[in-house]
Formats: sequence, C-alpha cells, structure tokens
Amino acid sequence: MFNILSLVFKYVFIVIIYMFIFSIIKLIYLDIKGIRPIPADSGTYLKLINRKDTLPFKVKEYYPLEDNVFLGRGNDNEIVIKDPYISKKHLRIVKDEDEYFLEDLKSANGTYVNGDRVMDVVKLNNGDRISVGQVEFLFVNKE
Amino acid sequence: MEKEIKRIITVLAGICILFVSLVVYLTYFQIFKADKVKNSSYNKRLWINEEKILRGSIIDRNGKILAYSELNGETYARVYNYGSLYSHIIGYSYRDYGKSNLELYYNNVLLNTSESAALNELKNLVEPNSEGNTLKLTIDHHLQEYSRNQMKGKKGAIVAMNPSTGEIYAMVSLPDFNPSTLREDWGNIVEDENSPLLNRAISGLYQPGSTFKVVTAISALENNMYMEDYECTGTAVVDGYPLKDYDGKGHGTVNLNEALIYSCNPYFAETGIKLGIDRLSETAEKFLLNREIPFDLPVKKSLFPKKGNIGKTDVAAASIGQGKVLVTPLNMALIASGIANKGDIMKPVLVKEVISKDGKVIDSFKAEMISRATDIFTANELKNMMVDVVNKGTGKNARISNIRVAGKTGTAENPSGNDHAWFIGFAPADDPKIAIAVILEEEGSTGGQKAAPIARNIMLEALNTINN
Amino acid sequence: MLNRGVNYKIPRNLLFLFESIALFLMFMYYRNALDRSTIIYGLSLIFIIYISNLILSKIVSGDNYIFLIVTMLASIGIIMIYRINYEQGFKQIIWISLGIVLFFATYFIVKRIKGWEKLFLYYCLASVFLFLATLLLGRRFKGAINWISIGGISFQPTEIIKILAILMIASYYTNYDRFKEKKWGRYYLIGIMYLFVFFLFLQRDLGSVLIFCSLFLALQYIYDENRKLVLANIVVLMFSGLLGYVIFPHVRIRFETWINPWEYIDTIGYQITQSLFAISEGGFFGTGLGLGHPDFIPEVSKDFIFSAICEEMGILTGIGVIMLFMILVYRGFKISINQRNKFFRIVALGISILFGIQSFIIFGGVINMIPLTGITIPFVSYGGSSMLSSFIALGILQVASEELDIEED
Repeated sequence: MFNILSLVFKYVFIVIIYMFIFSIIKLIYLDIKGIRPIPADSGTYLKLINRKDTLPFKVKEYYPLEDNVFLGRGNDNEIVIKDPYISKKHLRIVKDEDEYFLEDLKSANGTYVNGDRVMDVVKLNNGDRISVGQVEFLFVNKE
Repeated sequence: MEKEIKRIITVLAGICILFVSLVVYLTYFQIFKADKVKNSSYNKRLWINEEKILRGSIIDRNGKILAYSELNGETYARVYNYGSLYSHIIGYSYRDYGKSNLELYYNNVLLNTSESAALNELKNLVEPNSEGNTLKLTIDHHLQEYSRNQMKGKKGAIVAMNPSTGEIYAMVSLPDFNPSTLREDWGNIVEDENSPLLNRAISGLYQPGSTFKVVTAISALENNMYMEDYECTGTAVVDGYPLKDYDGKGHGTVNLNEALIYSCNPYFAETGIKLGIDRLSETAEKFLLNREIPFDLPVKKSLFPKKGNIGKTDVAAASIGQGKVLVTPLNMALIASGIANKGDIMKPVLVKEVISKDGKVIDSFKAEMISRATDIFTANELKNMMVDVVNKGTGKNARISNIRVAGKTGTAENPSGNDHAWFIGFAPADDPKIAIAVILEEEGSTGGQKAAPIARNIMLEALNTINN
Repeated sequence: MLNRGVNYKIPRNLLFLFESIALFLMFMYYRNALDRSTIIYGLSLIFIIYISNLILSKIVSGDNYIFLIVTMLASIGIIMIYRINYEQGFKQIIWISLGIVLFFATYFIVKRIKGWEKLFLYYCLASVFLFLATLLLGRRFKGAINWISIGGISFQPTEIIKILAILMIASYYTNYDRFKEKKWGRYYLIGIMYLFVFFLFLQRDLGSVLIFCSLFLALQYIYDENRKLVLANIVVLMFSGLLGYVIFPHVRIRFETWINPWEYIDTIGYQITQSLFAISEGGFFGTGLGLGHPDFIPEVSKDFIFSAICEEMGILTGIGVIMLFMILVYRGFKISINQRNKFFRIVALGISILFGIQSFIIFGGVINMIPLTGITIPFVSYGGSSMLSSFIALGILQVASEELDIEED
C-alpha cells in the first residue's frame, strides 16, 4: 500500500515543486516588469510601499519627480495609475525653491500624507507616506 | 554607480551560468551515463533486487540445462553445469565480478524485468517473489562439447552453424575460463597473456589468408574478369614485390577453378589487381566485411581496405586475404553459409526461444536474411569449385565418404608469430545442413593439414547427430 | 486580469500542500513506529512554516520571496532526512524551528540597531578569535578540524565566520575612502582574507577555502578600485591552488578521485561512486520516497542529501532544488541592486554569493562535475550550525531588502 502511494506521490511532488517554482517566477516577473534600478543620485522620487503584486493594476516601484508632476487615472498625467479609487486627475506635486508641495486636486477619495487627509496643499518632507486610493508611496528627497 | 551595477550583473550572470551548467550536466549524466553507472557490479541496488528473483535457466536446443540458479541461504546463486564449455557463450553473473556474454546481454530477459525502473516497481508490488525466463539456445550441447574436444590444447575458434537459418550449433573459443571457479581464478585469468576472456569467435580479428579467395573468386565471376588460362610460375611480381605461392613451385597453366583448387596466389593476386579495389571491396562488403553484424552478442567489425587510393601491392595482398584484411571467425562462417545458402547470408542466432516460467514460449527467433551476398548461379559455381578443393585440392583432409563437402583452406601469415591455419566449408554440398569456420591461432601449419580434419570431424558429427 | 490570481497565497498553499502530502507519506512509512510526539512535531513544523510566511507577508515591507523559497528548500530537506533517519529528522525539525526564530530575531535586531558598517575591526577580531579557538579546541572530523564543542554543544565556527567575513568585507568597502588614506589601507582586506584562507587550510577544510576565495574574489571584483590588485589576487589564488595541488597529497587525492572515482571505489572514491549510483538509479522521476536505497551512501543526510533527493524524488526534483537556489540568488542580487545603503548592498551581495557558491560547490561535488569537498547545502542538509547560520544570513538579507536610508536620515 505504501509503495503504491509513494509511486503516485513522487509525480505529485514534482508537479507541486515545479508549480511552486513557476508561481514564484511569475511573481518575480510581475515584480520586475517596469522597474529600473534607480540610480543613487537621482534626487527625488516616490517609492511604492505596497507590494506590487497585491495590486490588481500596473504600478511602478519608483516614480522620479520632476518640477511639476500630475498623478491620476487619466492618461494625460505624468504618473498614471489605473486604480478605480484614484480620480482622473488626483493630485499634483510641484517643486518650488527646492521644496516639494503636494496639492490634492479635489479628488473623490482624497490624498493622505502620513495618515492626515490633505485638504489643500501640504509641504512634503523626506520619508513622508503618501496614500492615494489603494496605493501608498514613500516620498524620498535626497537633495 | 553604473559600473557597480554592471559588475554586479556580471557576477550574477556568472553564478547563473554555474547553476545552469549543473542542470545541463545532471541531465547529460542521466541520459548518457546513468545506464552504464547503474549497471556497474559495484551498485548494490542491482543485487538487492536481483537476488530476490529466481534467475532463469539457460538450456541447449534439446533442453539440456547448461546454467541455472539455486537458493543459497536467502538469495539465489548461479550454477554452471559444464564449467568452461560455455564461458564464451553464457558467460558469468557474479555480484563482485559483474556479468558477461548472454548473462549480461539477456539480463533483463533472464530476470523477467524491464528496462524501466517504474515498471519493475509496479511488477514487484503485484508479484514480490518473481521468477525469470528461460533461454533456449540454438547451441547443440553434444556438438559444442565435441568441437571443444577437437580443439583441445590449441588456441583458436570454431563456429558451426546452420547456413539456411543462421542458428549457431557450436561456438568455441580457446583458451577459455571456468565461470564456476571465477573467484579463485580471476587473478590468473586477468594476467594470462593469451586473454582467455576474449571470445575469439566474434571479437578476434585475423587475416583470413587463402580462405578469402572465395570472395575474390566471386567478385571475378560477377564481374566477368577471371582468366581462362594463366601461366603460374609460383611467383607474381607486383610493383617489384614478389608474391609467392605457399610452396613456391609453379602450378603451370591454370583457370579459376584450378587456381582455387591449388590455392594459387599469383592467379588471385593478378585477378585482384585487374578487378581493382572498388570491385573487390564491393563484394567484400556484401560478405559483411566493414559492416556491423547483428548478433545476440556484440561482434567486432571485420575490416577490408576502403575504396579509393591504395597501392597495387595492397590490392594484391587483400585479394589473397593478407595485408589489411582482418576478419572474425564468425564472419568467415557466414561467408561459407552465404555460398551454401544460394548467396543469401542469414542473421546469426544464438537464442532460439525465450520460455516463461510457466513454460510458454514468449519469444522465438525468426530466420532473417541480412545480406544478399551473391546470386544463386555464382554461388552454385563457387560451391562446385569448393567441392573440387576438398576432392582434389588443398582440402583433401576434409573429405567425408559418401558426402560431398565444399571447403577452402587458408594459411595466414602472421607477422607476430606462427601462421594461422584456416578452414571454411559446408556439407552436404547439394543440400547444406552445416557450415563451419575453423581457425587455429599460431598453429604454424597449413589449414589443409590441421584445420581441415577438425572441420571434417565436426561436420560429420553434426550431420550424424543434429536433426532439426 | 493577470494580476488578480497572483499573490503570495499560491506558493504558500503549494508549500503547505507539499508538506502535508509528504508528511502523510512519511507517517505511512513509519506507521509501525509512529507515536503521538512524531505527529505533533510534524504538524507543528507545517504550522510554523505556514504561519511565519503569513506573518512575514503582513509585517515586512521588503522582499517576500526569499523566505518562501527557503522554507520550500528546508521542507524538501526535512522530508528526505526524516525518511533516511527518523531521529535526525526529529532533530532537524527543531533546528528549522530554531532557525526560523533566529531569522526573526536577526531581522529585528539588525534592523533596530544602527551603525553595523562601523564595526570592521570587531568583525575581524571575532573571526580571528573563532579561528584560533577552532585550531586549539577543534575536533578532527572527516579529516577536517572544523568542530568545537563547548559545554556539550558542538558547532562549526566556520559557519559563523562566513557571515562575519561578509559583514567585514562590506564595512571595509563602505568605508573604503577612509581606509584608502592610510598607508597600507588598500591592502588591509586582502591581507586579512589571506589569513583566513590560511587558517581554513590549516583546518583542511577545502570546501570552505573555496567558498571564502570565491566570495572574496567576487566582492573584490565589484568594489575594489584598484583593478591591478584584483588581477594580482586572481593570479595569486590560481598559483596557490596549483601549489597546493603539488605539495599536499590530500588536495591531489581529491582531484584524482574526481577524475576517476571508479579507480578508488574501495577507498576514498566510495562515497562519490555511491552517490553516482543513487543519482543514476533515480532517473528523472525517482524511485519514490522510501523505495530507494540512499542509505548506501555514507553521511547521506549531510553532504550527500542531494543524491538522496535525486534517487528517491528524481533528478527533476534535483533540478527543482537547483532552480530554487538560482531564484534565491537572483532575488538576493535584485535586493542588492535596489538597496541604496552601500553597506547593506554589499552584505546582500555577499550573502547571495555565499548561498550560490556554497550550494554550487556541493551540488557539483556530489554529481562529480567538480572535485568533491565536504560542505553542506544551506537549508537542506542535516546539521544545526549550518541551518542556524543560514537562517541568520537570511534574516540579514531580509533587512537588506527594505528601504533603510530613510530611517537613518
């Protein structure tokens, strides 16, 4: 009896192990699709805190910030995230005299910085957590 | 920074290559090497499984038991009934020395296991104490014993077979060894410079000498390039090298038939040169030289100079079976069989039937032609010439009263020692029942004197005792 | 759409399934000797692994693959060890559980405490101390002195030195600019590494010599600004390898057994040939758990566990294990590339290279692709030191997978 079970299970084991490997590779593939390693001296950027694969839409690990950046669901934004909880034009990050400011563009579900809802404009500091829809970013400023 | 990432990726690539090479090597090992490793006699796993199975017996064509297994404590051990008589056919099967010959090549049949481990496992579940199959050989025990006795004290090989079915009746190679006392004898066997482990009948390569003239003669007949009268002075000079007859005296004016009867070297050397290497090698290859011979045991390939650019002397030497021609005794027996069997060479067979433990024949050999060596007319013509060789020529010692015997003698010059003595032939000439090749290695005498009488006795014994 | 079905649940559940079936099979295998504690141990292992993966995915913001991969490897290892030797399997369960605890402990400690990159001297001194202790108190085992036992607990200091060495190399290159200013500062590290290799050679631990050399060489290749030194190092190592071959018979003999193990089948080639028998017997799908004879290989649960896996679970599983290591190493490199803190970038690299090289050397050894040197497969082989130190290294790697500079600023 044991022999028969063992004979059958050896195939089962191989199948499981390869399915495991495959699922890991698939996760990693989804993970790296779209990430470029960020050069260390690239100044200011948003870093994704959520794990990508828990989100059912495409999102990058890093978003470098320029002087004026829009984030939203619409394709005309610099940062496009197809999260249904994010508005068409959700927020804007502007640079003014070496300081970065986040402005919520009257989004339906709002923007939170370190847990506080942004009512109008807020100044960003290195290490701030920015929540939009289901996504959470870390604001990194190296300058 | 960019440089750092580049270098990191180089190192990553290096490690990945290492891992991939592991996978490749492992796969390569499994596909190409594992079988050989697995069957090494040092692998204890083999024996754990095998010793629980009653290994099948090996019997001769009349059912005489040649080898069997018996229970020895918890496991089975092999018993060889006739000592060294079958050392080159059955071989041996020992845990510490491995297996050879039929014990090796028919291992799965004898154990009734299959190549696939998975199937064996399943079978073991259903039937834990299984029993192997019996091998019934084409060998005739009496003839085998008789043949070996004829060779007593000599070195050499005999192959006696049925020309129309390919069944081997007797296959002797001397010196041999005793599988029953292998453990005690192993040291001597390995060190013996006469290599008793070598099966000369299928793995020994010899120059065929004048026996090969039958092939040259067939080539000449097929291509209509034989000489009606040739003035034999006892020596032919080819490219400045003299080619002498055995006794050096001339045979006078000879035609093809007479040249074969007296084994006239100059005649065949001239004929060979006229034919050229292309025609000669074409005929030789139809007689299985340069070809793999399918058999139950692995056979060395006989060699004949390839077509193309070789010197006249080499062609002349090849056409009288000297120089670069090398054959196995089995091949010579097949040449004789081909001529006996109207030009068709049958596949040589050693295992007649496989019999399951409940006595059913689960596999039996089928006669199979492996080469159409020549046409029936040429074969017939050659046969008559070979009968004349025995009746009037060099093969007189093979004569049997009331039976027409066809044959050809040969004495092969051996560069490293005494001459080899050859005889090939078959009988009865009109309805051949047995074909034979005999070689006495380094006998230092002629084939007509030494090999022919042995062949005669064996053929006579076979005709008297074997009935199909 | 593609993303919907993809999350950590799938591999986690596959792992769970694998362990459950394998454990069930093992209970069947030992059905006559089964007692309550065995079942409890087995089930709790499954539980611990499942829960730790679950917790990890909740609390950790960094990488989540490495722990999954490692627990899969450990599961394959434990099943094989348990099948070969009942008691060793028992102990191994404890080692794995302890390892997981240590993993979390390391993770929290390393993350909480700052300034790891400043401790160059301490790493160095601690390693030298351990080396000396090994030489003085060490026991000779299989020809190599690499075990010491204190108060009844024996362990292999080399396993800890590996991690210390990585930390040391990382702190050296992080503070490279400072070292450069000193007179011989550029040569500090290479001098220390040669000392380490010399110590290992004294212990006759050739496998570790190989690991240290390749680890150091790889990191030096990436980080050393003095390219001539890298080249010189390669030349020196090759030359000393050659010298070792000529001078020391125990090096030469390894090489010769590698070339033709069959010639030494009765003596030093015995293990490797038994290993080859096991692998070839297994074929692609293996004989099935409990149906082969991996016990014919001496020391099978340690260095030769891979051959046992190949025999009973097939070389397809063997290739699976190799692939798991490859993914693990790949993830480690990915972590390193994404890490902005230089110290942890180098540490992540070092640990990944360590896992990669160590597993390669022993895989290659048991299949006779390269000369055999006795070292363990991280996470798979039986043995406490190796298991614990590997989990500590993994904990550090886990820290390195997180964004660290932010909290530092």
